[in-house]
Formats: sequence, structure tokens, C-alpha cells
Amino acid sequence: MNEEKKTGEAPAADKPSGVVDTLQTLGQVNVPAGEQDTYCLSIIGQVEGHLVLPSQNKTTKYEHVIPQIVAAEQNPRIKGMIIILNTVGGDVEAGLAIAEMIASMSKPTVSLVLGGGHSIGVPIAVSANVSFIAETATMTIHPVRMTGLVIGVPQTFEYMEKMQDRVIQFVARHSNISEEKFRELMFRTGELARDIGTNLIGPDAVKYGLIDRVGGISDAISELKRLDQIRGQEGHMQ
Amino acid sequence: MIYYSIVPLEIVYAEESSENESQVQEVEIEGVKMVIRMLSSTEAQVERLLSPNPQDYLNPRFYPGSRIRLVPSWR
Repeated sequence: MNEEKKTGEAPAADKPSGVVDTLQTLGQVNVPAGEQDTYCLSIIGQVEGHLVLPSQNKTTKYEHVIPQIVAAEQNPRIKGMIIILNTVGGDVEAGLAIAEMIASMSKPTVSLVLGGGHSIGVPIAVSANVSFIAETATMTIHPVRMTGLVIGVPQTFEYMEKMQDRVIQFVARHSNISEEKFRELMFRTGELARDIGTNLIGPDAVKYGLIDRVGGISDAISELKRLDQIRGQEGHMQ
Repeated sequence: MIYYSIVPLEIVYAEESSENESQVQEVEIEGVKMVIRMLSSTEAQVERLLSPNPQDYLNPRFYPGSRIRLVPSWR
């Protein structure tokens, strides 16, 4: 960020040669860097947590994302954050950590689900102040799985239920869907070919109250601007 | 780890097919975080950007696939 700022404010003497350099080497002129007040957090592929996944997986790592959120919250130049989701899910702990971080930000946050916002992507999507979903995007809601050694005792079931409740309760708290309804979608049979659960496509996610609105990037950005204005007015009143 | 994803675990943990993983690394160039693939000791190719600043993605020098010459510098 700082570097970007520096190049934007480079002394006039340096500018012509820089432009000529890019022109000569690439046949292009640099796009002028505007003052960037929107932070763009993209959650793509797998949400990676405590374990590093094999390299064929495209991942979003929580050690990247969490400091970014801290930086966005602290940086006075950042007015709001837009979260773009196209994720297949991943680690529950990492996903919930990211979702909790977004939910507890004081700056306006808007999320946009494109393509897919499945599994642990659901709590991340609903953690923003306002959530959007593209008309063609889908969200799969299904039960949580466990890796590694699973002991076949009743306690395992109880433990899984507890872990599942963390996700369910977070979603219910941060969206307009009720805990019961979300649970029902999660355990519904006959909708998914290889699993139990539900696949919600764009308007369906809005219908169940999981996501606030169907929309695209312009809706998301204008909502972010609107939230920022409201926040500005509240700031003046205090 | 509790795993919550639509991708089956056997695909996530499939045997790694190849090879040149070590040539891919995460670096920060001019304040922009990105993943690069080393082509030689002095040249790298941009794989993808990790920056949260959308303007960085408009910088033609950092388009995925573009080559970056790595010059040793003394400061």
C-alpha cells in the first residue's frame, strides 16, 4: 500500500522517464493509481486453516486474511471492505475466525457471493453488514465432516453436533434465517446427489433470508458507499 | 481438523502430481504481495496477485504471466 502511494506521488522529474520506460517495454502506459478507499478481500478456493493443503488446491490462507482485516480496520484511508466469495469451503476454525473478524469490524462491510459460496463460505458471506449474491451463484448447505481418526462412540456424535452448532448459530445470528430453518436445509435429503443438504441458487438464498439481496458488483459498491455515508453522519452527531 | 467443504477429502488430499512446487513462491514486490514462479535465478513470472488493493491488478507489469526481472540491489 505504501509503495503504491509512493509511486502515485513520485516527483515530477521521475514521471516522464517512468512512463517512457513502460511504453518502451510494454507498449502501455501505467494506469494512474487513484486514491483507493475500498478494501477488496477475496475468498477463493479452499479456506485453509491449521493444515497446509496439497498444492493442487487453490486456497485462501487465514494468515493472509486476518492481518488484512486488522489493517483495513486500522487504516484511516480505508472507508469500507468488500468481500468477494467464490469458495468451496474448507477449515471450520479458519472460516469462523475470518467470519468473526469481519462481523466485528467497525467499518462498513459488504459481501458478494459469485459462483459459489459453499459450506464454510456461508458464515463468511453472512458476516458482512449487507450481503449480496449473484443471480447464478450457489450456496451449498450440508453437514460438517471430520478428518482423521474418528472413534465410533456417542461422544463423537455429540462433539460433531457441537461443532456444527457453532456454524449454525453464527449464521442465524448474522442473517435473517432462523436456526431451525438452517438446520432443516442442512439435513434435507433428496436435493443433493452425493450428500445430504441443500443447494441454494441466487434468489433462493435471498428467499430463505440467508443473503440480503440479489445483485452484482455495482450494487455492492453503491451499498458500501451508502453505509459509509450513514457512518459519517453518525460520526458527526457524536 | 474439522472440514466443511463440498470438495471430497480424497480430492483435497489427492497425491500431488508434480514437481516444480518449490519454484513457486510468495513474495512482495513494490509493496504488492504476489505469487511468482522462478524461471531462472534472475527472472520470475507472475502467477497471481494476493493484494487486497484492486488497483494493483490494473498494473500491467503485474499481470499474471508477465515476467519480472530480479536485479540484486544494494541498500
